Amino acid sequence: MIADTTVPQDRRRTARRAHVWLTALLVLISIASLAIGASGTSLWGALQKLVSGQPLSQTEQVVLWDIRMPRMILGICVGASLAVSGAVMQGLFRNPLADPGIVGVSAGASLGAITAIVLSGLLPLAAMAWLGFWLVPLAAFLGGWGSTILLYRVSTRRGRTSVATMLLAGIALGALAGALSGILVYMADDAQLRDLTFWGLGSLAGATWAKVLVAGPVIVLSILVAASLGHGLNGLAFGEATASHMGIPVQRIKNAAILAVAAATGAAVAVSGGIGFIGIVVPHLLRLSTGPDHQPLLLNAALLGASLLLIADVISRVIIAPAELPIGIVTAVLGAPVFLWILLRRRGLVDL
Amino acid sequence: MTLTTRNIHARIGKKEILHGIDFTARAGEITAIVGPNGSGKSTLLKAITDEVDFTGEVILNGRNTAKMKPWELAAMRGVLPQSTTLAFPFTVIEVVRMGLMAGASGERADIPSRALAAVGLDGYSGRFYQELSGGEQQRAQLARVLCQVWHPVVDGAPRWLLLDEPVASLDIGHQLLVMRLMKDYASRGGGVVAVMHDLNLSAMFADQMAIIMSGTLLTSGPPDTVIQNDILSKAYGCSLTVNTAPEEGQSFLLPHLAMHN
Ligand SMILES: Nc1ncnc2c1ncn2[C@@H]1O[C@H](COP(=O)(O)OP(=O)(O)OP(=O)(O)O)[C@@H](O)[C@H]1O
Ligand SMILES: [Mg+2]
Repeated sequence: MIADTTVPQDRRRTARRAHVWLTALLVLISIASLAIGASGTSLWGALQKLVSGQPLSQTEQVVLWDIRMPRMILGICVGASLAVSGAVMQGLFRNPLADPGIVGVSAGASLGAITAIVLSGLLPLAAMAWLGFWLVPLAAFLGGWGSTILLYRVSTRRGRTSVATMLLAGIALGALAGALSGILVYMADDAQLRDLTFWGLGSLAGATWAKVLVAGPVIVLSILVAASLGHGLNGLAFGEATASHMGIPVQRIKNAAILAVAAATGAAVAVSGGIGFIGIVVPHLLRLSTGPDHQPLLLNAALLGASLLLIADVISRVIIAPAELPIGIVTAVLGAPVFLWILLRRRGLVDL
Repeated sequence: MTLTTRNIHARIGKKEILHGIDFTARAGEITAIVGPNGSGKSTLLKAITDEVDFTGEVILNGRNTAKMKPWELAAMRGVLPQSTTLAFPFTVIEVVRMGLMAGASGERADIPSRALAAVGLDGYSGRFYQELSGGEQQRAQLARVLCQVWHPVVDGAPRWLLLDEPVASLDIGHQLLVMRLMKDYASRGGGVVAVMHDLNLSAMFADQMAIIMSGTLLTSGPPDTVIQNDILSKAYGCSLTVNTAPEEGQSFLLPHLAMHN
């Protein structure tokens, strides 16, 4: 006889302890991310100089302060936002396979960003001046928002989400967004094409303080909103009707979840292009180790997502140094097998 | 204090399912809603809990539920649906604990395990909900609902258990356990409304019975006024003999082998 699976101890405590471990991990990896790079600049050398009051050399300042620092911060923001968006979407769609990258939300956000880059010339100059740096993230947000709402409408009937419909609708949405993006690329002039290519590389290589300032606040805000949804998403695991019987303001939770996902995904896509699989792998690993309770899960996802993205970024920087691999390739190589593994272990998930 | 519906017309999609139902359940009693498959029992419960579109009024303890916030309602009544799916691998105790979060008035932390014991699931806390049998899942959900409205009376106002087929997938021992639990809840002042198929259990435990047929209330009253040959054969379209148990004096039903003509 196979013994019953039981969870002997209270998983809430394990999950709370994980906050501490994951924070420590993130700190370590952040330091590593500052210390490791193609140029020979040493973080420790620079720190010694700082401590002893010597001025930093020009190279040290540029490499550490203008290149690695914003890149690290952007990596933390993007990784956290991808993982949290994944966790929130999975809660909203009641399925561990929902992820902004897989169900077309990232494609929608990309379409928004591309539209902004190509068609921004049509906007009145005053509007351009006013929106400035915000135009691309804003458009990416709107694209992500539109596609999340569309997806939810298509795949959810009477509070139940059909996984098959969700995945298929995601493919259709992704294809449609890709086609529209293609048309826009075709319309683009040379300067815009350069912008597009640069943006589409899907990496943290272009990280600047300006990008940190634009994307950072949006991402932090949407993660804070998402983190407050834990209780509601737990209730939604029983379906919308039962959640509302438990006193959860279902409509408000759904709206907040969709907005938070769209803002976080939009901002992440706007500054880093499409980076896949973080949103699926991170929450899944956490659910396996500390349970599906969304209250600790969302914060843990932010911490682990940030750490994993920084690790992927360091790998992408050193593996073919001095050249750089786009980080999307690294996360796909690491993440796609995990995704397949989830499918293999729980085939029932996609049965109709 | 009562749970009252006034002239409920409920629709699902374009189809009207309930055609004007006036129904009353009193606190301190078990009210059983019975009737054939598809007659609208679940829909009535869903109208009461605002899950389907309806016109008419639902009055809970003197307040119109349309004017109450989700958390006010959750503090006053627990709802057990006919079936529940769960999306993630929560353990039994985690499922039951979710009832607590809805419960308003700082209720005690040992309630989840007491609720589990009450439905005969002590020792199941660490098991994965998705790996339980159908009847065990149903009882775990009942424990969650119990947890939400653990004390039958709060600040002088009764709380309500609204249960859709709470014993449908249970064996006879656990059916009795759950019916006794409902009886106990009612006797301590709470209100219990349960959709039932087992007329014998209903007759044995319910204080009031209401028969729903084709979206209307056929009749309602104490069990011995409802458990009548002519009423039941009209409702269910089969012939039954109403008998009286020799020792306990209760009505019970025997279906006839031959088909109703
Ligand atoms: N989602 C739905 N869409 C369309 N019609 C529905 C839906 N749910 C229920 N109905 C219809 O409403 C009527 C009443 O259904 P309801 O679920 O209330 O029956 P019930 O009395 O609870 O039956 P049972 O004893 O089988 O649980 C049925 O005719 C059913 O076909
Ligand atoms: Mg029913």
